[in-house]
Amino acid sequence: MNLFKAELRRILRRRLSLIFGIVAVAGLLVLCTLVWFNSSTGPTESDLAEAQAQADELNRQYEDCLADEEFFESDEWLWVTDDPMSEDMSHTELCDMYIGNQQFTAADFLWVYTFDFSEEGVFMLIGVAIVAGLIMMMLSSSAIGAEWSSGGMSNLLVWHPNRMRVWGSKLAAASLVCAASVVGLLAVGFGLLYLTASVRGEVGTLDGPWWDENLAVLGRTAVLTLGMTVLGASLAMLGRHTAIAGGVIAGYLVVGDLLVQIAGGALKVPFPDRLSLYTWVMAWINGKIELYDWSATTSSSMPDIMVITSSEAGLLLGGVVLLFAVLATWSFQRRDVA
Amino acid sequence: MPPIIEISGLRKTYSRAFRQPHHALDGLDLEVAEGQVHGFLGPNGSGKTTTLRALLGLIRVDGGTMRIFGQTVPRQRPQVVGRIGAVVESPQFFKHHSGRLTLQLLAESAGVPKARVEEVLEQVGLRDAAKGAVRGYSLGMRQRLAVAQALLKQPRLLILDEPANGLDPAGIHHMRELLQWLAHSQGVTVVVSSHLLSEVQQLCDAMTIVSRGRRIVDGKVADIIAGHSGTSLSVRFPDAASLPEAVEALTTADATVTAAVDRERLVVQGAPEAAWVTRTLADAGIYLSELTTETKNLEMVFLELTGTAPVPGETVQIGGSVVPPAAAPVGAPAPVAVEAGSGEAEGAER
Repeated sequence: MNLFKAELRRILRRRLSLIFGIVAVAGLLVLCTLVWFNSSTGPTESDLAEAQAQADELNRQYEDCLADEEFFESDEWLWVTDDPMSEDMSHTELCDMYIGNQQFTAADFLWVYTFDFSEEGVFMLIGVAIVAGLIMMMLSSSAIGAEWSSGGMSNLLVWHPNRMRVWGSKLAAASLVCAASVVGLLAVGFGLLYLTASVRGEVGTLDGPWWDENLAVLGRTAVLTLGMTVLGASLAMLGRHTAIAGGVIAGYLVVGDLLVQIAGGALKVPFPDRLSLYTWVMAWINGKIELYDWSATTSSSMPDIMVITSSEAGLLLGGVVLLFAVLATWSFQRRDVA
Repeated sequence: MPPIIEISGLRKTYSRAFRQPHHALDGLDLEVAEGQVHGFLGPNGSGKTTTLRALLGLIRVDGGTMRIFGQTVPRQRPQVVGRIGAVVESPQFFKHHSGRLTLQLLAESAGVPKARVEEVLEQVGLRDAAKGAVRGYSLGMRQRLAVAQALLKQPRLLILDEPANGLDPAGIHHMRELLQWLAHSQGVTVVVSSHLLSEVQQLCDAMTIVSRGRRIVDGKVADIIAGHSGTSLSVRFPDAASLPEAVEALTTADATVTAAVDRERLVVQGAPEAAWVTRTLADAGIYLSELTTETKNLEMVFLELTGTAPVPGETVQIGGSVVPPAAAPVGAPAPVAVEAGSGEAEGAER
């Protein structure tokens, strides 16, 4: 327990933790601020007056056009008479076509975005959680990698010879910090977005089914961030350097996943999207995902459908994390601390 | 009283792709008695740090036995770890943590009282610098911090790899006094690996010199130096032209004596005593102007024993030290040859 508490304190006292914490909170505030200023429940009086003036101007112009047979002979509209399309058209038709007979209203000149918390809030919170997970993945890999590159690991093992206890404490401390950070960020994000919706948008209906569905989605996302934390720490333990963990993760997500998909496509593998890790992540978060195989589809047939459920996605993603965690554990237990 | 550290036939081989395996430890033996400062010396790549790492359970060995406080390590290491403080190689820390926080985290992890942190900071002279971030510490200050963390547990065995590295003269003096106080007043056994031979000579009670993963010699420092000082005499003459005649006179008088001209002096070895030299030369009508007995220091003994003495025009390469006799099989006692020429010498060549 002492070792766990010390590891927890070590992570929390790291400068990188402070920086990442500030970045995460700042990012959340920026998101909420953007939503706050973009969302509104209706136009202001001045917006409405301006839009009405624009509509009135166009409607008046149409009336002027109808009333004045020589409307299109003014310098401003002379080009209309030169237009071949206008040759066989009556004056009224010309007014309808070039000025418009749409009985414009103020609404035609207003654009109002109203943030609906019940519809959009959870998607934003999922994004917040995933960004927090990426940050925690970097933080956990850095916490382990820095121990190796600084020589702190061998120093710690001189004090605590049980390597499994050391590794377990580090992993548990990183996971706890991740869980607390993600839950904290989600709670703050929920509160801020709810406030934004209350003041500048619509909260929508948050009934029982809404809570059931979205708590499950957010819960699975939080579990995903825990897995990302463990994966980051495991890769750093395997590579014994932060950069190795970061390189492997970034390399796979940016290049590796693309290459796998290209290979799948080239080999005409059915449902090539299933080769992408992102597909399984989406299936895990959303509860399920449907993939369509269009390769054997004809005009009269429907595409084959493959459904990946969250259980299947959880097994695969959990297996990947577990594999690396086991490899890291084995490596730490067996390899010399040089 | 059994030794605090007993190492017998320790072997560690590093496999290397497309190259011959490297035997970092090749049957190394080591005994460290209680309450002494024990120097652990050897050329670069001779296996010192590997031995300390193996002792501390950081690396696995391929053969041999190790015992600390009578307990077999690494198997029974958890039972003795609380009594061992160690610094292995150049210590690094989280640069943005303060010296105090660095120690507090370690102390907290092992349930050491916080008050002990302040005690060791005071002991190593870092009390006033403890608030500062480690990134602002000099190498010497980091070294002190490393020693402080090794002292946190109030160890009965202190293992320090190059403790004087980076320390200024005052720091070296302070460290020497601290380690001697720990050993001689507190009964702490201190093992020091170092290349600062003059420092080892002043600091250590006993030492072990290793080369190529094997022990060459061990014993009390003074005895080892005395055992290798021999009877080397330096003789000078008013006229350098007398040198060849002097060589002739001495070697004719006693065939076992060797006399070699070294610049403008004569180095005589194997002479029964200094008076024999003066008498023999006087009988030959050669009169000397100076005769001194050459006393070797630890550096000279070390260079001689490890075969790393510089040769004009050549560079001693890493791994170019002498190859000690093959080690005894694991578990069997190593043959011991007491150095001749010093009846009281306890230094023993292996």
